[in-house]
Amino acid sequence: MAAPASADIVVIGAGIVGALAARRLAQQGASVLILEAGPRLERARIVAAFRNSPLKGNWMAPYPPSPWAPHPIYVPKDNGYLVQAGPYPYPAEYIRAVGGTTWHWAAQAWRLVPNDVRIRSLYGVGVDWPLSYEELDPWYQEAEEILGVAGADNTGSPRQHPFPMAPVAEPWSMRRVRERLAPTYAVVANTVARNSRGYDGRPACVGNNSCQPICPVNAQYLGINAVESAEAAGAKVVPNAVVYRIEHDAKGRIAAVHYYAPDKSEHRVTGKTFILAANGIESPKLLLLSASSTYPNGLANRSGMVGRHLMDHPSTSLTFYADEELWLGRGPQSPSSINTLRDGAFRSRHAPYRLDFTNISQVLNVTNDLIREGVYGAEFEKQLRWRAARQINVKNVLEVLPNPDNRIALSSEKDAMGIPKPEAHYAIDDYTRRGAEVSKADFAKIAELMGGTGLRYSAEGHFANNQHITGTLSMGNDPASSVVDGFGRTHDHENLFVCGTGVMPTAATMNSTLTAVALALRTAEHILPAKQAHAATTHAGHEADRA
Amino acid sequence: MMALDESGRTAANHADPADPSRRRLLVGLLTAYTASLIPWALAQEVPDEQRGAFMALSAILVGRPSLDATQATRTYDALVANDARFPADAQALLALINERHIDPLQLQATLDNEHSPLAPLPRQIMRAWVLGVVGSGDSARCIAYESALNAVMVADVLKPPTYAYGSYGSWSGKPV
Repeated sequence: MAAPASADIVVIGAGIVGALAARRLAQQGASVLILEAGPRLERARIVAAFRNSPLKGNWMAPYPPSPWAPHPIYVPKDNGYLVQAGPYPYPAEYIRAVGGTTWHWAAQAWRLVPNDVRIRSLYGVGVDWPLSYEELDPWYQEAEEILGVAGADNTGSPRQHPFPMAPVAEPWSMRRVRERLAPTYAVVANTVARNSRGYDGRPACVGNNSCQPICPVNAQYLGINAVESAEAAGAKVVPNAVVYRIEHDAKGRIAAVHYYAPDKSEHRVTGKTFILAANGIESPKLLLLSASSTYPNGLANRSGMVGRHLMDHPSTSLTFYADEELWLGRGPQSPSSINTLRDGAFRSRHAPYRLDFTNISQVLNVTNDLIREGVYGAEFEKQLRWRAARQINVKNVLEVLPNPDNRIALSSEKDAMGIPKPEAHYAIDDYTRRGAEVSKADFAKIAELMGGTGLRYSAEGHFANNQHITGTLSMGNDPASSVVDGFGRTHDHENLFVCGTGVMPTAATMNSTLTAVALALRTAEHILPAKQAHAATTHAGHEADRA
Repeated sequence: MMALDESGRTAANHADPADPSRRRLLVGLLTAYTASLIPWALAQEVPDEQRGAFMALSAILVGRPSLDATQATRTYDALVANDARFPADAQALLALINERHIDPLQLQATLDNEHSPLAPLPRQIMRAWVLGVVGSGDSARCIAYESALNAVMVADVLKPPTYAYGSYGSWSGKPV
């Protein structure tokens, strides 16, 4: 069947954000077409690919890129797709496929804390958002009810209505961490899109401990759930449709998008309204690619800010052995955090951070350590059990401030389809580095309270990346310094909207997906107001409540 | 599909498992020192000296009281496919341990210090058994996951990732 050549709404990108915007618009009666560069994937094949992979520690291994829609791969070697311009490496990972990058995520579905959107006014750093936390609150609620979010009320993010679900049952390891760190630190349950009971036709978690790279049982909400719900609402998805140009008319409105099929045949799709939701790297890339004689710097780029203000969450960490058996790896991977350092007057001086405890099984890492150390014979098993039972890790999740020099640009290198690759320019500034330095005292205190031995801090000056690609298409009220307005509409093109983490003007300290979904739902409402506000989403939650 | 003989055994496993000539073979590969590291090996059957050397080395390195014969065959075949010199190297390394009575805990350091060409071998064998991975880089292959020994060694407490731990909330209790 030929793909439709026109729709009321054309969405570029079938990830969780684009799909949920599409779903909401389709529910209002719009015809919606979603173009996705990558292929459709099957959960069972991803599970099998992981089990059969020789690279169990590399969660991208079960997601090999397709030749026509490459994404960055770094193990066993860099595939060179995301070109690094430096000075600091930005090895972002994402998945180009139907369902997008949340095929594998920790499902941490945090809200911001209210002051996150006012850091310029309050602390003199970064920028203020063009909307308040209170304005976001109902959209967070709608997003949480769609995703099925389980959470506790003591995380610092106020709410008007209860979470859809109670927090996920606390693993023994995290219980002991919580008990032993009290009262110095309050360890709280993470807010997660993971079922603590049957919800919306999906089962409760059964502790597969593989949230990344794949939840085998559908207890964790993924982008593919969003896509399937959009399709159920009437949206059409075209996989393997590599959009390479957005076309404008004489008035600066978007008229069409052009895509390649894998055989490089060219296709044109027209629409009334366009939503760019291809992630914080691919979306700016596409706007830059779409330069014309009228818009020589790319679309939506009168400000010159497309691709700029690239942010993420760098992390430093401490790994050590607790003085009791914790056995990480029982239950979900990301259960608990310390949230008290996400906000405070110190934000004028250094980055705030969330402290995140992993519950990922330590068996693989410990095995690799022992082999590297040459521990053989009966001692191997003895050491494996001792270390796997006691090894624990805490990391910070640091805020990065928006800086126009950190950016995604077009590389002179091209991919197999002849499309320029994205190029990352990135540095980690002193504000973030000072935050990392301050957090070392927390790491040390946590280790002390856990009776820690064998303390191993991450290498000095080395930051791990968290794949929370933020900025690059920042929202703001001033068209001279931002790409989209507070509703995600590009300042330059009346019928072109952007959804995704890229529109967030600051990165704060939480995983960015839930905020991007909430903003996208708000954008969808702005494009086409719901006939009955929130009716569709609250329905799912109440259905599950009765179940 | 592998052919089954009349008794239901696969062709590859056709020889009588109680054949004393096969049993003697592994014993013959060990000295009193290595036999003391793996006393159970006295009862282990091996089809030839090369596989025998591999079994003895495997036993010394992983320190387990028994090794699954099917997985051993699969592991050995994968190591040979990865490196045709593997059988000879394995025999040479076993001979070295026999001769010099090298403690397993000192083996890697000894080989590294002497810049022995056999130095990569223990890690290759360990990776194959405990991670279920043979080869490296682009040529790495997974030959075992649930039965890789690092999963087996903790199986009383943990499931390999992607396998359900248990019913909802079962992870809240004390592990052992």
